[in-house]
Amino acid sequence: MESMKQNLVGIVGAANVFDSPEVLASYSKDESFATPMKPLFVVKPENAEQVQALVRFANETKTPLVPVSSGAPHFKGDTVPSVPQSVIVDLSGMNKIISINRQQRMAIIEPGVTYGQLQEALAKEGMTLSTSLRPRANKSVLTSVLEIEPRLNCLHQFNYTEPLRCTEVTFGDGNQIYTGEAGNGPKDLQKQWDLGKWQVHSNGPAMTDMLRMITQAQGSMGIVTWASVKCELLPTIRKMYLAPAKKSTDLEDFVYKAIWARIGDKLYVMNKAYLASLMGETAEEIAELKKVMPNWVAAFGLSGDILLPELKVSAQEHDIMEYAKQTGVQLLSKVPGVSAEAVLEKSINPSGEPYWKLTAKGSCQDIFFITTLDKTSKFIEAMYALAIEAGYPTEDIGVYIQPQHMGTSVHLEFSLPYNSADSKEAKKVKELYISASKEMSKLGGYYARPYDIWTTIQLNKDAQSYILLKRMKDIFDPNNIMNTGKLTLK
Amino acid sequence: MAFPREIYQALEDIVGKRNISENIGICETYRSIPSQSSAHYGPSEHWTPLPQAVVLPGSTEEVQNVIRICNKYGIEFKASTTFWATMGYIGSDFAIQIDTRRMKSVKIDAKNMCAVVEPFAIAATVQAEVMKYGLNINIPGVGCSSSTLANFSSWIAFGPNSISMGQGSENVLGMEWVLPNGEVLRTGSLGAGEGWFCGEGPGPSLRGILRGIFGAAGSLGVCTKMAVRLHPWPGPADFPTYGTVPAYKADFGPNFKCYTLCFPTWEAWARSVQYFHESDVAYSGHRQFNMFGRNLKGAMLNIITDADKQLSDLEELVNDPYIQKENEKMKLDYQVIIAGFSERDMEYKEKAIDYILEQTGGWKSEMMLEKDKHDYALLYLTRLGHKNLNFVMCGAYEGTFGLSSNVWKTIQVVEEAVALKRKWEVEHDSIAATGGDSAMGSLSGIGGGGATGWEFFTNFDAYDKNSVHGTAKFVDGNQEFHNKYSFGPDFCRWNSDVRHMNGYNYTQEEHNQMFANAPQPWVYAYQYKIREAINPKNLCGTYFRTVDPKCLEK
Repeated sequence: MESMKQNLVGIVGAANVFDSPEVLASYSKDESFATPMKPLFVVKPENAEQVQALVRFANETKTPLVPVSSGAPHFKGDTVPSVPQSVIVDLSGMNKIISINRQQRMAIIEPGVTYGQLQEALAKEGMTLSTSLRPRANKSVLTSVLEIEPRLNCLHQFNYTEPLRCTEVTFGDGNQIYTGEAGNGPKDLQKQWDLGKWQVHSNGPAMTDMLRMITQAQGSMGIVTWASVKCELLPTIRKMYLAPAKKSTDLEDFVYKAIWARIGDKLYVMNKAYLASLMGETAEEIAELKKVMPNWVAAFGLSGDILLPELKVSAQEHDIMEYAKQTGVQLLSKVPGVSAEAVLEKSINPSGEPYWKLTAKGSCQDIFFITTLDKTSKFIEAMYALAIEAGYPTEDIGVYIQPQHMGTSVHLEFSLPYNSADSKEAKKVKELYISASKEMSKLGGYYARPYDIWTTIQLNKDAQSYILLKRMKDIFDPNNIMNTGKLTLK
Repeated sequence: MAFPREIYQALEDIVGKRNISENIGICETYRSIPSQSSAHYGPSEHWTPLPQAVVLPGSTEEVQNVIRICNKYGIEFKASTTFWATMGYIGSDFAIQIDTRRMKSVKIDAKNMCAVVEPFAIAATVQAEVMKYGLNINIPGVGCSSSTLANFSSWIAFGPNSISMGQGSENVLGMEWVLPNGEVLRTGSLGAGEGWFCGEGPGPSLRGILRGIFGAAGSLGVCTKMAVRLHPWPGPADFPTYGTVPAYKADFGPNFKCYTLCFPTWEAWARSVQYFHESDVAYSGHRQFNMFGRNLKGAMLNIITDADKQLSDLEELVNDPYIQKENEKMKLDYQVIIAGFSERDMEYKEKAIDYILEQTGGWKSEMMLEKDKHDYALLYLTRLGHKNLNFVMCGAYEGTFGLSSNVWKTIQVVEEAVALKRKWEVEHDSIAATGGDSAMGSLSGIGGGGATGWEFFTNFDAYDKNSVHGTAKFVDGNQEFHNKYSFGPDFCRWNSDVRHMNGYNYTQEEHNQMFANAPQPWVYAYQYKIREAINPKNLCGTYFRTVDPKCLEK
């Protein structure tokens, strides 16, 4: 062990190797029900060369590495070691914004860059980055895009992996490459910029799409040390609306119509528990909001930027109102308990402390998967039925429906707040999480990002994919050192 | 090598007597000029090898069984369906051609805006079917007579609509794919039987194996079904065409406009394109009719939009003062279609275009607003069904240069490329003298903008040896230009590293030499390992570029 420490010190320096019980304990568990396991060391590399050296060292010594970029709390079990003797590779210190290019609308970021940090820098250049819903303040943008967290604006998600474009990755075998257009060389960003290349195109670099080997991978294929992301123009005008409804199905036609007509830059649906949780600053406030808010709300946003923004927003506002009328919904600037503008502000900005999902009860367990909008009600009904069976209060179940990939599918998320200090309640939620996860899969829910128990649930249904995934893992991480135990059938 | 009877019989048992042939007359039709590029009838004096047999499977199961036979006997196979590109043809003598034209269904999920297509569902069919539901599909530059599935799985697939719809790769959802070892892989949500709606995951996306910047070109098995994303079509449910073939046109009503926008400088041109990249105004964007060349496009447009005119009228039209004036005005141009989802939306988009022109000093071509030309261009770009025009000048063409990059990089060098081509046109008689600038292609090769996809149409006579050889020399010269500005291989050399000029596959040793010194050789080593994992007998030709990792480990 001492020899390993010396080796790690040799790679990242003594100041960046940690093995105190407190530090190790903090990386040994997260907010999920994943089995806690203490790592052997935590290391904090400062650059890609150190990362590559760590991976090569891990290959020589068969040391499992667990990459982590965001700060705590984590929720999905993917950063908790699955096997003993693991070394956490904490990339949060690599937090440089390497470049911002307004002309190309591209930014290049290191793993430790957070949404707040990036959005502030982009705003100075008149740009912004599409975001997942109210990310944690210390959430790594790079992890968020690598793990394909759903974005609020599905209509600009031309590629499923949007806004992620190119990366620098050290695969599990220790080789480091650039993916996408950047992979066509030269392997030096400055030289590429000098040639007028801005790491825009995500596919490739050749016939295999290397980016897709590292997305949704939970760090099990390699470690990404920079990524280019496509930015949007910062709106000069924004308008936000809320469409209240008694049932989620009442909103379906409207959502489909907005997707078809390509209107708007924000579109998502929440039930009142989810919306109250997003908006409330305290548990009491959340409880009060739930009493007055509509059962369901579709949030819809319009924006204009450099090209006749007033005229654009005015035309689209007229059209969306017409579509709303046609589909039997009302678009309002406020609904009981909340204004549309406030929902927008909360949605696009990073959370304060504590993370908003923890405000209601101190802990939260999510279940999310992909399906199509017209099937969501089936899952919602099933979830409520399971909750009743488990004795979990249905009024606490948060539901979030986020269209993605230009609306061809939706991310459906159930959020189950609970008090982890109450062991009985925690047990009940854990059981519900397990049973509901299985049931959702039986009903056709697709765990594209198969965290924790979903790995087994999903991959057990798809033997051919699992066999091929194992073959790919053998290619890119032959010694199985990258987040060992993840994406593996147990 | 004679094709053993037992193998032929085994294949016949799978597909039935009517769907297999070794008749020399039939097999000869499954040979192609091994053009240097993938999609053009380029200079060549050879043909791809003669297949031992042609097999037409009618289902995924039949494809799988055919591939199993190929594995058993070590037979190379290549599947194709609309056969536009040389990549769809075999590259060795002991090989069979799989023709998937019996598999042609289209199933539409209008609500969730996707369609499940089989290989021979050509883009024209898919488009016609989905338009009934107010939907449309990205039709890549190769045109509507080509297979949607083949384009999206195996090549880049960008076209006029890619600015608003994305290119092929971006539109792929679930996919069913018979691997070269005979296993069937269903990607994404389809793998677990949950539907076609998502082609990604679970976890890392295996679809990434099949296609990167471009596809595996049939070298990793046979894609048998694919769900493709559809896009809104705010126009009529069918094509209200009129006019006399081939100069037929379409009127989609007041909510569609096709403008030819023109600019005084490339810098203004690029600024205007950036506006379109940064907004949702353009439904389509293409520099299309410059395919006829800077000097000829005005005259050619008058020929192709008038059924009574023909190529012999070209000289007269080129000298027509009105056409000369209009031609000069559209020197630096491109076409844009705007589609209004409502009257107000259309009004906004009209004003947005006026604003862009005001900001950049551009103008609309008046000639292209004449109704017959407007309606012709609208139909042309929406359907891409006039591919005959690619060949009309000299019988053959190649796409050269290939300035596929961001617009700001492209415009810095485009005139140098123009001058190079013009010099060759003037000094040699091997290629048509169209005015140097014949750069054409998509305003954006990826959804939402960011990169152009351009080629210079170079017209030559495939039946004239001097023309063929001269064109080849012209392309060789262009490569220096490409190297100078780091554009990679010339467009029509993109596939020269995967098939010999005589039509045969490369050996692994030859590929090792080619790719061991690539900017990132490990990319090709990983591809070698992937091929070993799913195509251990290496039965699908050499379009999947690989380098043996041992060469790098040395």
